[in-house]
Formats: sequence, C-alpha cells, structure tokens
Amino acid sequence: MSEVINANPTILDDSLLPTRESVHPKAGEDRLNPKIDALLSLSLSNEFGSSVSPNTPPSLTDDEDDEENDPIDSQEIFDLIAHISDPEHPLTLGQLAVINLPDIKVIDSGDANKMAEVIIKITPTITHCSLATLIGLGIRVRLERSLPPRFRITILVKEGTHQSENQVNKQLNDKERVAAACENDQLLSVISKMLSTCK
Amino acid sequence: MTVEIQLIKNVPAHNDKVWSISIHKTLPLLATVSSDKVCKIFNLKTFELISDLDNTHKRSIRSVSWKPTNDFGPSLACGSFDSTISVWGTDDDEWSLLAVIEGHENEVKCVDWSSNGDLLASCSRDKSIWIWEADDHNEEFECISVLQEHTQDVKHVVWHPSLDLLASSSYDDSIRLWKEDDDDWLCAAELKGHKGTVWCSDFEASEEKLRLVSCSDDCTVKIWENQPDDYDENVWRLQSELPISHSRAIYSVSWSSNSGRIASVGSDGKLVIYEEVQSNIWNIIATKELSHGVYEVNTVKWFISEDKEFLITGGDDGSIKIWNV
Repeated sequence: MSEVINANPTILDDSLLPTRESVHPKAGEDRLNPKIDALLSLSLSNEFGSSVSPNTPPSLTDDEDDEENDPIDSQEIFDLIAHISDPEHPLTLGQLAVINLPDIKVIDSGDANKMAEVIIKITPTITHCSLATLIGLGIRVRLERSLPPRFRITILVKEGTHQSENQVNKQLNDKERVAAACENDQLLSVISKMLSTCK
Repeated sequence: MTVEIQLIKNVPAHNDKVWSISIHKTLPLLATVSSDKVCKIFNLKTFELISDLDNTHKRSIRSVSWKPTNDFGPSLACGSFDSTISVWGTDDDEWSLLAVIEGHENEVKCVDWSSNGDLLASCSRDKSIWIWEADDHNEEFECISVLQEHTQDVKHVVWHPSLDLLASSSYDDSIRLWKEDDDDWLCAAELKGHKGTVWCSDFEASEEKLRLVSCSDDCTVKIWENQPDDYDENVWRLQSELPISHSRAIYSVSWSSNSGRIASVGSDGKLVIYEEVQSNIWNIIATKELSHGVYEVNTVKWFISEDKEFLITGGDDGSIKIWNV
C-alpha cells in the first residue's frame, strides 16, 4: 500500500483488551464463573431439554453432548477476530478499536441443530476508510472458517462511522459477492496476511 | 388449508454449496451446479448420476439451464464466476462441451433459455444482460443485444414460459422487463418496491394473466401484474405482497405451472409454500423449517411428474432434496 490512509490512528494496549484466554478455568484459580456458567447452561438448555431430562440414563456420550451444547458468546467471537491485522497498520483490529466487545452480539443456544446468529458492528478508524470492506471481509472469512455452520454472520459498519455505510453493509452481507470475492486469489492472499496474526 | 411437506429423497450431490438446479422440460433430467465447479446430471426417476460435467470452469458454477428444445439431443448452459458460459450436449451417452461463450467482464450470475430455445440470456456483476442467438447445434452463439440499464449487479434472469419476455433482478433493488421491439431489445418496465437486492423472480404460466413473483433480501415475496391501459401496454403494478414468513434473505422463488402455488427458500433454511385462495389473496399453506439442516437454501424449483407435484431444493450443505407436497 503506497499511501497510508490514516497515518495516525489511536492505539489501545494489547494487554488491556478484554480476553478470556488467560481465564480458562484451571485448577487452583480463584474463580466463581464455572459455577455460573453451569447454571446458565442449565437454564438455556431447557427448550431442548430432552437430553438433560432426569429420565434419560447417563451415558458415555454425555460429556460430548455438553460440549456441543456449549453456546458461543461474544467474548469468544472477540478472541477470534481481535487479532486480525489491519491491512495498512502493523496493528490488530482490537488494538485499533475497529472491533469492540460491546459491539458484538451473539444469539446461540449451543445446539448444533439450531440456527445461531452473530452480529458485529465495526468502527472504521476514519469515516472515509476505503479499507472498511476489506476489513469486514477479513472478519467474515475468519468467522466462516472458525464457527460451526449453524451461524449466520452479519457484519455492519457502526452507525455514523462511515460515509458510505449502506453500500459497505450491503456488500459485506451479500452472500454471492462474498463467495466470488473468496475465489479471487489476490484478495485471498491479502486476507491470509491479515489473518496470519490470529491466535 | 394446510398441506404437509415430506422429504422423499436426499441426494448428497456436491462437495460444496449447490447454487442452482434446472429440471428438463420434457425429459426426466435434473442438472445441478455448485461451488465445486462441477455440473451434475441426474436421472429424475432414479436419481442416478448420469454424468459429471467438469474440468471446464475455473471458479464456482453459479447457474444452470436446460435448453427446452432437443432437436439434436438434450443440452444445457452453465454460467460461472469465471465470467464464461459453457454449453454442453449429448447425442447418445457421451456428454461433451459444445461451446464456451465469453463476453462478460466478470462473474456470470445467471443463464436462462427462452421458451423456444432460440435465445439464451445471461447476466453478470458487470451490470449487463446479454442476449445470445443460438444455432440448432449449440456451437455458434451470436450476441444480439447488450442491455445495460441496471445500475448494479444483475443477479437473475428468467424468460416467460411462452412469450419472448425477459425479467431481470438486481442488486440495485429493482426488476426490469425486457422485450424485443423492431429488432432491438428494450426495457419495457422497471418494477420498484423491494428494499434490498432482488435475488430471483419467476413468471406465472397463464394464458390470461401476465404476472411475476419476486423475492428479495428484504425478506418479502411480491407479485407484480401487467395491467395494460389504452395508452401503454407495459404498465406493471405491484399486485400483492405474500404473507411474511422468512426472517432472512430469500434467495429463490418458483411458481408452479400446475397448481399455481408459489414456493420460496432462503438464508433462514425455511421452505415456504403459498397458495392463492381468492384472486390476489395468498395464504401460507406449508412451511418446512431447517429444510437443509442449519444450512442456507439457495434454490427451489417445482417439478411435475404424472400430474403430481414435487419440489426440489439445493443448499449450502451440497445436497439436493426432493419434497412431496
């Protein structure tokens, strides 16, 4: 890229970004969350409750079922995409606050046989950023590769942060255009570079 | 009245998204195309694979259409994201590539043959629609018109089942109707009303009325009718909006030439059937949730065999499903 579009972006410290990577439930860790998670998953599993009904005898596959029924939350989505590199800065989308945890919405029962949804609003660093589409495409490719097929992914530019908001939104959520873009080798190599910093 | 939608056959046809299917007008042949760059031909009675048409397109095949006439055996056209159209035919058992048509600047999104098989229409992300005249042997294709009035990608083209009237659907949210006028093709009408990309449209097969159904990213299915007045025969009006059922983009719609019912499918995986209970009043008579599991459904077509109606769908799971209604 010959000309930098935003030469002086605001940068957040990577270590201060929200993350769950360090707080995985480990033995000896002072953490209440596993219990809360367990409670939450119980209340969520009510509607597909046949697998947890008291009449069902415990089986060897129980553990597997639990794992399948573990819903994905916005923190997990954030962890998947925050480390994508910006196409023009040696920084990640998390550091540049293009992606922010409160702007990720997830609707997921955890059931592999039900549809789920993730809606992400991105904040381009400047309002005329021509790279917004590329960033959005990078996020979509990352999520399509990592998430189970039940997910429908919607990527939007946050209201008021881009002058051609509607145009970018329409393009990013057009299945056919995205599919065609993903067959473009040049574009794919740029995206692979952006995704190479993902953990 | 409600009816039941019953799965009667699941054919795991492709390794990737099924984008489009085509059912032959007179022979029991089904063609399916996919992101896996292969066009498959199945026997519609046994669902046996007859042939793989491959090693031709470099990118996804987006669209397939059988030529309705078979003076020299059955033949079909495939439109691909690699910007070309391939035409295939068979005399006995061997299927062979008859022609590769070039002209579009980028992704070809749809191809469709006119009812008498004389014309092939194609459309592309390059915003244009090309009308090609074919010879009987499908070896020579001459472009007779390039229509460039859409302001964005043209997603879909479909010919009327008996007239030389073409409908095109676009990313510019509009539908246009095209007719031949003094050796030239002209836009006869522009239908505006959808609030998102129009993905597909289909004509009613009727002698008395001229109607078109369309479906869109805006989650609606609309019916448009030609209502000519004393001054203008090309007046089209929005006639009705079908009851809302889909919660995400609707990718495909099909109007049965047999029962007059309409079917729609889309991103939410639902298969919905509508029936006209009184003139211009439509009800949903059947819904199948998760028709391809959690995958999106890209295409639906009615198929009539021995006076019975079936539906065929194709989805992102690579499978083709046949439904009894």
